[in-house]
Amino acid sequence: MGIYDTPLGRRDFLRGSLAAAALAATGSLAACATSGTGSSTQTSAPPAGQVSDTNPFGVESGSTVDAVIFNGGYGIDYAEFAGQQVQAKQQGVTVKVTPVTKVAQTLQPRFVAGNPPDVVDNSGAGAIGINTIRDQLAELNDVIEAKNYEGTVIKDTLYEGVTEPGTFDGKFIVLNYALTVYAIWYSASLFEQNGWTVPKTYDEMLALGEEAKGKGKYLFGWGKEAATYYQTMAICSAIKEGGDEVRLALENLQPDCWSLPPVQDVFNGLKKIIDAGYMKPGGAGTVFTASQAQWSNDQEFLLQPSGGWIENEMKDQTKSGFKMTGAPEPVVSSNSKMPWEALHSTAGEPYIVPSQGKNVAGGKEFMRAMLSQEAAVNFAKTKLASTIVKGTVPPDGFGSTALQSQIQMLEAAGSNVFSWNFVDLYGMNTDQLVVWNSFLSGDSDVAKLTKGLQDITDEVAKDDSIKKVQVS
Amino acid sequence: MTMATSGELTSGVSPPITGAGSPGGLRRIGSARWRKRNLTLDKITFFLVFLVIPVLFYIAFVVSPFVQAAYFSLTDWTGFTPAMNFIGLSNYGKLFTDDIFLQAMGNNILMAIVVPIVTLGLAMFFATLVTVGGSARGNIRGLRNSSFYRVISFFPYVIPAIVIGLIWSQIYDPNSGLLNGILTSLGLEQFTSFPWLGDVRTARWAVMFVIIWGLVGFYMVLFIAAIKGVPAEVFEAARIDGAGRFRTAVSITIPIIRENVQTAFIYIGILALDAFVYMAALEPGGGPDNTTLVMAQQLFTTAFTKGQFGYACAMGVVLAVVTLAYAGLVFAVNRIFGGKSEVGE
Repeated sequence: MGIYDTPLGRRDFLRGSLAAAALAATGSLAACATSGTGSSTQTSAPPAGQVSDTNPFGVESGSTVDAVIFNGGYGIDYAEFAGQQVQAKQQGVTVKVTPVTKVAQTLQPRFVAGNPPDVVDNSGAGAIGINTIRDQLAELNDVIEAKNYEGTVIKDTLYEGVTEPGTFDGKFIVLNYALTVYAIWYSASLFEQNGWTVPKTYDEMLALGEEAKGKGKYLFGWGKEAATYYQTMAICSAIKEGGDEVRLALENLQPDCWSLPPVQDVFNGLKKIIDAGYMKPGGAGTVFTASQAQWSNDQEFLLQPSGGWIENEMKDQTKSGFKMTGAPEPVVSSNSKMPWEALHSTAGEPYIVPSQGKNVAGGKEFMRAMLSQEAAVNFAKTKLASTIVKGTVPPDGFGSTALQSQIQMLEAAGSNVFSWNFVDLYGMNTDQLVVWNSFLSGDSDVAKLTKGLQDITDEVAKDDSIKKVQVS
Repeated sequence: MTMATSGELTSGVSPPITGAGSPGGLRRIGSARWRKRNLTLDKITFFLVFLVIPVLFYIAFVVSPFVQAAYFSLTDWTGFTPAMNFIGLSNYGKLFTDDIFLQAMGNNILMAIVVPIVTLGLAMFFATLVTVGGSARGNIRGLRNSSFYRVISFFPYVIPAIVIGLIWSQIYDPNSGLLNGILTSLGLEQFTSFPWLGDVRTARWAVMFVIIWGLVGFYMVLFIAAIKGVPAEVFEAARIDGAGRFRTAVSITIPIIRENVQTAFIYIGILALDAFVYMAALEPGGGPDNTTLVMAQQLFTTAFTKGQFGYACAMGVVLAVVTLAYAGLVFAVNRIFGGKSEVGE
């Protein structure tokens, strides 16, 4: 995952904003001339091509689909694969796949000028904050209601709840393609050797920390850019403990949401682990990949909370025979509202279709191709990660223990799958990192952590210029 | 007249390379020509190529974006739509109650004080040693092997800032970094796993050290060039009068090259008020408790992550104002200490 931002000089930025500014000036003049038709033009344009079962969105023959794909951990070859499928299925349609690394910077001028691409993989550290552009996105309900290339209605082929993270105020506008399972990752072989079991509560984690210490190892470690992985773990544990009301309180930025008892219990559980010295020191000054290598290669600490991308991320820095395996995040007590098996899973690689694109139907057709069985299997096989399409990963997980465990966790969780959006939606991560780095270093306490997080939340909540998404 | 205006602008806003020379001389030539008003074709094309076109470029690519950014700072523009509402000064109101931005501004100001003084102090010290600090007998010269010192001290400047940042982030690594490796091997066990960039007490000094390390060489070479421009007789006379090396540096060298020092102060101050590249490599998250967060970083996050371009533009305007104020301060200080009546001119 590209948390690590490549730098950009202020002058480059100014230069970029100059171009944007110039476009904005002409753009706003144009907007004045048409006296602000606003964003109500979403579905007004009739499809240019013939609508049929094989061409449900009416892509015009001879048209071009402009696909801009984030070139990160997954590369762009899977998107090119889908592009070729579109070209094979829709006669005369050309798909142009363009890789980008800084989505927001690259596409900002095009959005301002009203000339966005037809489909965008809005991912990576430089992604466009979805809240900023959600009025300009086409609704994607017709995509999942259409039949895929194999003839099944797409909706029926997807995992449970995968459209929820892309639904804002009841509108499904973001299709998250890659399935991401959040978990606590460990080395199955190391645990087996020492006869350790996966801790299911914070007390068990504390006990495991003691045992790890006996072996000269730490329980946890972290890197400065990834301190909020512990926030993700904490929120997950708190939601399992306190149920949906915790999730809703956080999502809706309620006053004192960080002071809810389940949240506080988790923070206190973590604090005990930190105070006992089971956290590898120095994380606040360590680059996160270096810290993860201390786990996967040097085995200096046992557990790494992260998303399913970690296997791919640490591919070259994992000890052989490590057997990377995931387990659900711990709960606090035995009478938690959700079982331990409940899973924080969401989908990543957010694909969007800007409603002002020249070929909206083409953008949707591209998504339909990506959701075909063939493309989904291709993605799973080449990227060792599942898409939101069910049944594309064989039981052996293409030889990956991490992928196997992801599928097992998903099956065990059943319908107890949840996720949340507020951190990314309001761009809070940068501010929260600071608070978490101090907490994990042992420099602050639960009260300071709570206050720090609450302040960040309150600031967004009371800022009228930020559009809020009501979650229920 | 246009020349004088643009001269002021360059020395105030952008790297004032020309400022150190002799603007008076240029102006004299300019006005002498100006007095003859017979405009030949040759003269018209000359003005066109050397004045009108550059000024147009300047207006199109420097002035107009500034004006636009200033306008955007009065709107709620998200950056991704052509639409925006005029909201007056409320972005600025928000800015001055935004604790994080104010902290970033404080960090920048601290850096703009510490970095120039330390860097230029060291650069002046080394430049003096290399040029006039050598043997007290015979010709005025620097230390032995001074050209070697000059090359090695300039070396860090050759490395791009981002690479310097990445190198040092590895050196500062708590567990496998060179710095803690050396300190612990010397028996200083308290530095085991010590997070230089992650501890509130050390982070800002650690990043400032890196910036200083990267820049001393450049300013040293700048000062060497300036000192070499001073006739050796001046130093010889001072020596005959019995002035030691320190006294020579303070009473002779610095007053003579004060224009260069002023230029250097402004240039490095602007860099310290920016510092984006170093921070992107060393402390992309703003450092422990935001102690290393700089305004440019906050601006960037606000614009691209939070999608608040209007607010980010307001930050940009404040950053520009702070930078201009800094430059003004340097000019004022130089003037107060007799900047206009020195030996040099």
